[in-house]
Amino acid sequence: MLTTFRYTIRWMRGQILAWGLGIAILGLILVSFYDIFLTQQGDLLEMVKNYPPEILAFFGGDATYIATPEGYLTMYGFSMLPVIIGIFAVLAGSGLLAKDEEGGQLDLIVCHPVSRTGLFVGRLAAFAGATVAISLLGWLGFAVLLGTSSLEVSWGQMALPFVALLAQALIYGTLALLLSMITPSRRMAAAGAGLVLVTSYFLSSLAGVAPRLASISRLLPYDYYQGGEAINGLDLASFLGLMAASAVLSLLAWWRFERRDIRVAGEGGWRLPSLSLRRRAEA
Amino acid sequence: MSTVSLDEIVLMTQGLHKSYGKVQALRGVDLEVRQGEIFGFLGPNGAGKTTTIRCLMDAIRPDSGTVRVLGIDPQADPVAVQARTGYLPGELRLYDNLTAEQQLRFLSDMRGAKADWAFVQRLAQQLELDLTMPIKNLSKGNKQKVGVVQALMHRPELLMLDEPTSGLDPLMQQEVLGLIRQANADGATVFFSSHIMSEVQVIADRVAMLREGVVVEVAETHSLIERALIRTTVRFKQPVDGSALANVPGVTVLSWDDHSSVTLQVKGDMDALVKALGSYPVRDLETARPSLEEVFLAYYQKNH
Repeated sequence: MLTTFRYTIRWMRGQILAWGLGIAILGLILVSFYDIFLTQQGDLLEMVKNYPPEILAFFGGDATYIATPEGYLTMYGFSMLPVIIGIFAVLAGSGLLAKDEEGGQLDLIVCHPVSRTGLFVGRLAAFAGATVAISLLGWLGFAVLLGTSSLEVSWGQMALPFVALLAQALIYGTLALLLSMITPSRRMAAAGAGLVLVTSYFLSSLAGVAPRLASISRLLPYDYYQGGEAINGLDLASFLGLMAASAVLSLLAWWRFERRDIRVAGEGGWRLPSLSLRRRAEA
Repeated sequence: MSTVSLDEIVLMTQGLHKSYGKVQALRGVDLEVRQGEIFGFLGPNGAGKTTTIRCLMDAIRPDSGTVRVLGIDPQADPVAVQARTGYLPGELRLYDNLTAEQQLRFLSDMRGAKADWAFVQRLAQQLELDLTMPIKNLSKGNKQKVGVVQALMHRPELLMLDEPTSGLDPLMQQEVLGLIRQANADGATVFFSSHIMSEVQVIADRVAMLREGVVVEVAETHSLIERALIRTTVRFKQPVDGSALANVPGVTVLSWDDHSSVTLQVKGDMDALVKALGSYPVRDLETARPSLEEVFLAYYQKNH
């Protein structure tokens, strides 16, 4: 299990750096521009007030909220970060085992003396570790210039939105992992989890102006995301709920991986109905 | 099924069934491989060789049947089986971005770093494999060499090799067969699939023939060849009436050529035919024992 963890996280180091540094750079820019934002706050507020409520909904729904540190951080950074880190999580989660299975390498690996549970846990732990490392890099980027900014947010406070973000990444990653154990291809699993990610973002954001959507959005992960608001205190119930849901998705994925046949490269696949119809027509 | 004691049986399957959807890949495979032997597993493409081997390694799970490898049920304790087995998959896929050495070190680490690296280097040298080359730059044959090295490098008790010489040139095929023989001489039992009859004939002690998911024959390699029909051509000094030859037990007349030459098929020993030919003016006699390949082809043609 440790060997699997060690190799997997080593092979993910490029992704960790790319995603982590990307978020860190965003943080450096956001924090360093806060003071400029403050000086132009009046004009910006005037502009934002003219936004339609559907657009404002994506930034917290209230124009004055944007003038607060948590509002500023949410509007320009944390509202979009679940989608950004979610893309990493969906790609990494769907490929955690299915990439090697589709590539044919898993056939050889599972015939080595590592239990399937050990392999699964080692890779899942590496994914979680990579997500933590990306969040840490991102947090450093957001925190390192706090001393020079008027944001009046401590390093510890700045860590809290990243804890909330971590829970988002884990749930999308484990959902993609589970789908990769059920669907016949990594691509299909990524598409399914990606659809949930985007739908969750839009529905939860729009639920602020369309209350009818609230009952659906409550079923989706983004609804339990605090964004920049977390600097005032982490919503522990939402965080633990998302972590518990990730644990359940992981258990289901493990259960499936333990019992299924390992495919060789190029094996399997669901025939799309449209293709079947075309073939029938050709026949 | 066998008089061999259970201790001597390294690998056993009984009534092994496996389906992929509506396709029945295995329809009751019964096998016994004894300790210390080299066992060839023959069959045309799609016969079920790879499916059987993957069931034995617990990469896939059979629908029904009993499997024991080294006395262990691979489904109950796959790690125990895999720790003592060297496996070469039929469709070997390696990580393109690693070098051959990195790939082998990774697989060795997956075994708890059990490989003796001096032995790995010796194997690579014997196979003329450059360990510093990235996998993506290796030819199919060289990738296969990496596969052979990884299967042998921890000196396993049992070698499970699916088409081990696939993609190799004839010289390297011989080298790999030599390594398999050496591993066997060092105590390893070898179970390998192939459809290259000449290599099976050269190294296998026993063979099983698989056809459409069922084992149709298990025999010692030499007895399988000896049991096969012998083709004999007799040339006479002058045209003869050889109608009596058709009545010789075990002999079938295949063709006559101007009553001066006859081609026969002989089942069993040739004593009766030689005695019958004593009354004919024989110029010469030519017999050809079939290769394993011909036996194999005869099996599959006969059964189709």
